[in-house]
Amino acid sequence: MPTAGGLSNSLTGGKEIGCTAVQLFTGSPRQWHHPPLDPEVAAKFRQTQAETGIAVAVAHDSYLINLAAPDPDILDRSRKAFRRELDRSEMLGLPWVVTHMGAHLDSGEEAGIALLIESTRAILEETEGMQVGIAMETTAGQGTGLGYRFEQIARVLEGAGAHPRLGVCLDTCHIFVAGYDIRDEESYQKTFAEFDRLIGLDRLKVIHANDAKKPLGSRVDRHEHLGEGEIGIETFRLLVTDPRLKNIPIIIETPDSETMHAVNLAKLKRLAAGGSLGMRVTVRFFGHYSDFSPDGMEVSVPGGATVASLSAILAEKDGRLAGIERHCRAAVNEEYVAPDAVLQEGDEVAFIPPMSGG
Amino acid sequence: MCRITQEPIDVRALEAKVAGASNGAVLTFVGQVRNHSRQREVAYLEYNAYIPMAEKQMRKIAAEAKARWGVDVAIEHRIGRIELQEASVVICVGSPHRAEAFEACRYCIDTLKETVPIWKKEVCPDGAFWIEGEDAIQAQP
Repeated sequence: MPTAGGLSNSLTGGKEIGCTAVQLFTGSPRQWHHPPLDPEVAAKFRQTQAETGIAVAVAHDSYLINLAAPDPDILDRSRKAFRRELDRSEMLGLPWVVTHMGAHLDSGEEAGIALLIESTRAILEETEGMQVGIAMETTAGQGTGLGYRFEQIARVLEGAGAHPRLGVCLDTCHIFVAGYDIRDEESYQKTFAEFDRLIGLDRLKVIHANDAKKPLGSRVDRHEHLGEGEIGIETFRLLVTDPRLKNIPIIIETPDSETMHAVNLAKLKRLAAGGSLGMRVTVRFFGHYSDFSPDGMEVSVPGGATVASLSAILAEKDGRLAGIERHCRAAVNEEYVAPDAVLQEGDEVAFIPPMSGG
Repeated sequence: MCRITQEPIDVRALEAKVAGASNGAVLTFVGQVRNHSRQREVAYLEYNAYIPMAEKQMRKIAAEAKARWGVDVAIEHRIGRIELQEASVVICVGSPHRAEAFEACRYCIDTLKETVPIWKKEVCPDGAFWIEGEDAIQAQP
């Protein structure tokens, strides 16, 4: 949530749209240096959290930090900056700082992981006695970024002595574009079983629920609104109804936060309550049907609706559309489909009467 | 090479698109508006299309003709009001040899009528009718 106007605004903003967990940057994510956190700001944050009843707030670290940097100067700055991240979060009472593990920048995966282990051990040692932990985030594997395989995260965990203040943040978009399929129940279960085998579900502390603009295995990190990307809404239903995950905070990091976080959050809540998601589809009419509805219409249909069930809804709306599915072929997003084709949010459905071009 | 247009179709310009030096035959089919239909006098036609899908389907037809006969195909279909004797559709086929051109051209116009989402409204002295396959349905004024 945005922190403009003060860190505690992330909590009040979250409360306004119905969040029970929020994630925030405790400093500008694109700057190395921040003035030390004012204890009064920290006190206000803690008080606001109590007042809003936001159960969990977690921090995300600065994008500049690279705990696997081969350049000793950058590595040193990164470790110091990350140490300050932990200091700030500790003052705010946040249980976790989520961090992308780092990039080896062509020094090689082995060297990168060795440095990550060393950095993690050093920082944990330096901050001994603190409550705040480090949640290593699964990444998309862009460029030389580390942490896109569960094995890599497992090695850092193990190398750092499986410290109790080490956890993992699973990002659905990242693991998907990194090659872990989660689009249906079978693939979802398989991926979570692998996570459990290699890392352990007890290490999973934060979930980032994001759909993906780019396909499975593309290793390109572009977040999409839930149910509107390559992953699809079913995965998020599985996620919010998975009993193993019921005490883990879920954070949404999708685009257009000001307007769309509320929409995406509402989707998760409906899925969690066992409801099916209503979808909006655009319907277009041609031939004599265009006389009834020249510009087409937006229609809400239940999740899982097909072209056939849409036809029934249309007939209820306007008796003149009754039987349209018998007189017309249907096209979804400009391709002919069978009447049992399942619709997705945002689809354009066209009813194509017998044609008379030529 | 394949498009829906509001403007009169320039037949010569479309032919030029398939008249490559390796083509020994350039065959053009012009569909034009006739003055009668179903024993009625026709004043003019009004065509409508689901434009993006229609263009996509036209490109599919051209690609299929290329795959089957090795011919170059350009198709334009006009929409909006079209007067008698004006062209509603033009298909140009360029081919090394004439036999493939004739077969491909026949395939293109026949398939266009079945798969390309375009509809005509016949405007007659006693009313307007949407033509949907075999059916003529009275249009709303």
